[in-house]
Amino acid sequence: MIHMKDVSKIYENGAVALDHVNIDIDKGEFVFIVGASGAGKSTFIKLLLREALPTEGSLTVNGRNVVAMERQEVPYLRRGLGVIFQDYRLLPEKTVFENIAFAMQVIEAPRRMMQRSVNSVLDIVGLREKYKCFPSQLSGGEQQRVAIARAIVNRPAIVIADEPTGNLDPETSWDIMDIFTRINSAGTTIVMATHDKTIVDTMQKRVIAIEDGRIVRDEQRGGYGYED
Amino acid sequence: MKIRTSEYMIRETFLSLKRNNWMTVASVGTVAVSLFIFGMFLILAMNMNKMVASLESQVQISVYLKDDLSKGDRKDIETDIRGMQGIATVKFVSRDEALQRFKERLGDQKFLLDALGDANPLPDAFEVTVTHPDMVRTAAEAIGNFKGVESAKYGQDVIQHLFDITRLIRIMGFTLMALLAGATLFIISNTIRLTVFARRKEIAIMKYVGATDWFIRWPFLLEGMVLGFLGGVIAVVLLNSVYSAIVVKVYSTLAFFPLIQEYPFLIYVTLLILVSGMCIGALGSTISLKRFLRV
Ligand SMILES: Nc1ncnc2c1ncn2[C@@H]1O[C@H](COP(=O)(O)OP(=O)(O)O)[C@@H](O)[C@H]1O
Ligand SMILES: [Mg+2]
Repeated sequence: MIHMKDVSKIYENGAVALDHVNIDIDKGEFVFIVGASGAGKSTFIKLLLREALPTEGSLTVNGRNVVAMERQEVPYLRRGLGVIFQDYRLLPEKTVFENIAFAMQVIEAPRRMMQRSVNSVLDIVGLREKYKCFPSQLSGGEQQRVAIARAIVNRPAIVIADEPTGNLDPETSWDIMDIFTRINSAGTTIVMATHDKTIVDTMQKRVIAIEDGRIVRDEQRGGYGYED
Repeated sequence: MKIRTSEYMIRETFLSLKRNNWMTVASVGTVAVSLFIFGMFLILAMNMNKMVASLESQVQISVYLKDDLSKGDRKDIETDIRGMQGIATVKFVSRDEALQRFKERLGDQKFLLDALGDANPLPDAFEVTVTHPDMVRTAAEAIGNFKGVESAKYGQDVIQHLFDITRLIRIMGFTLMALLAGATLFIISNTIRLTVFARRKEIAIMKYVGATDWFIRWPFLLEGMVLGFLGGVIAVVLLNSVYSAIVVKVYSTLAFFPLIQEYPFLIYVTLLILVSGMCIGALGSTISLKRFLRV
């Protein structure tokens, strides 16, 4: 699914965000990327989405060579990836239903599938009743669930989440993790950047720890590893 | 493009025209003014061209003969002229006839000729017309060299003046057009920039879920083209009514004045203006997209 070989990312201002990183993630895995703020987690995710290009090294995502990719191919790479951010990024003037359907609309998915697909992901995140609500009428946790629904509505092979529980209280965070667990058991690969120690320690999934752009640990059933 | 996609594009375009309403009005207004002025210059220049052409074709060459030519010499010259290529008519005007005409033209000021007494200072002449206006110059020069011909003249000065005026109008037109096109592009690209700004969150999400560049661009391009088109429509309506009014006015007072007929001329102008409007709109949004929409 994801093969990153000797990848470094140095920003234009000279900041070394990733330093010779090697990571292989297989289909169906659930992987936490952990590390303090500024460690390079978001940069790693940006490379997967091709929001940024590696300064050196090679990267394949979903069988596509991200480094050599033509510009026109980028949208098709992203259609295979569902992405979720800390700040939800919903459109405030659209309803829950419209926010999710929007993701199908802009990739020109057949309209007859829209109703059914949106309803089915609303069921997965448990928001069937709130489909008519606007984001401002929802709690933070509910908004994040809408964002997850939007990320999975086009059935991506990989779901990528950058600190999805960063703005949520612990209880709500667990609702989100439950949804991720369910999505993962249906076969979708999950890559989640976080610095939530409790979640990582409890879930007992693969943990890749980054410090100053370098991988310092990669364990199959790990915990967060150290105290913040 | 798929039908539901076109629907989406069109809806987005009009939503955004509504959202930017003041900028929309300003852009459409600027395009309308620019295209109206462009159209006026176009119409003016084309009418000047037509006028020059028609004056040239009416221009006749006056061939003044030397004094004391025999009838035979005169006949020979006439035959020679008629034998030249591109000559339409040759008409002899005797010096008496010429004086008579001159007197008529002077009208009230005929007394000016009293000083001449009975003397007639005018020479015998031929009036020659040509079949194609561009032959006037060469024919006049050739005839001027004939033996027995004093000089051959045509309205060089008038034509030269008209040429100069036409060229001036063209230069002014081009300069003004360049300035106006610049202003129009500026305001359209600014309007589109506002749209891009208003929709930046949406655009970011579209990119994340895998919308193609063209899918993202289309509504903005359409918006620019609609702005240009609407401006063009206003310009065209104004131009059509102004030109029709001018044509009516001119025909009622200066019937001989060679204006270009309204139809199909105005139809061509209309098409040209509308297409120009849409092109300038598309160009304006392209500029804006290049600068502000890094997709
Ligand atoms: N666009 C950027 N330009 C320059 N430096 C950046 C940029 N984004 C991140 N960085 C730097 O790269 C390093 C890693 O940042 P980031 O990947 O955001 O870490 P994390 O997500 O783990 O907090 C930090 O030192 C940060 O300052
Ligand atoms: Mg980050």
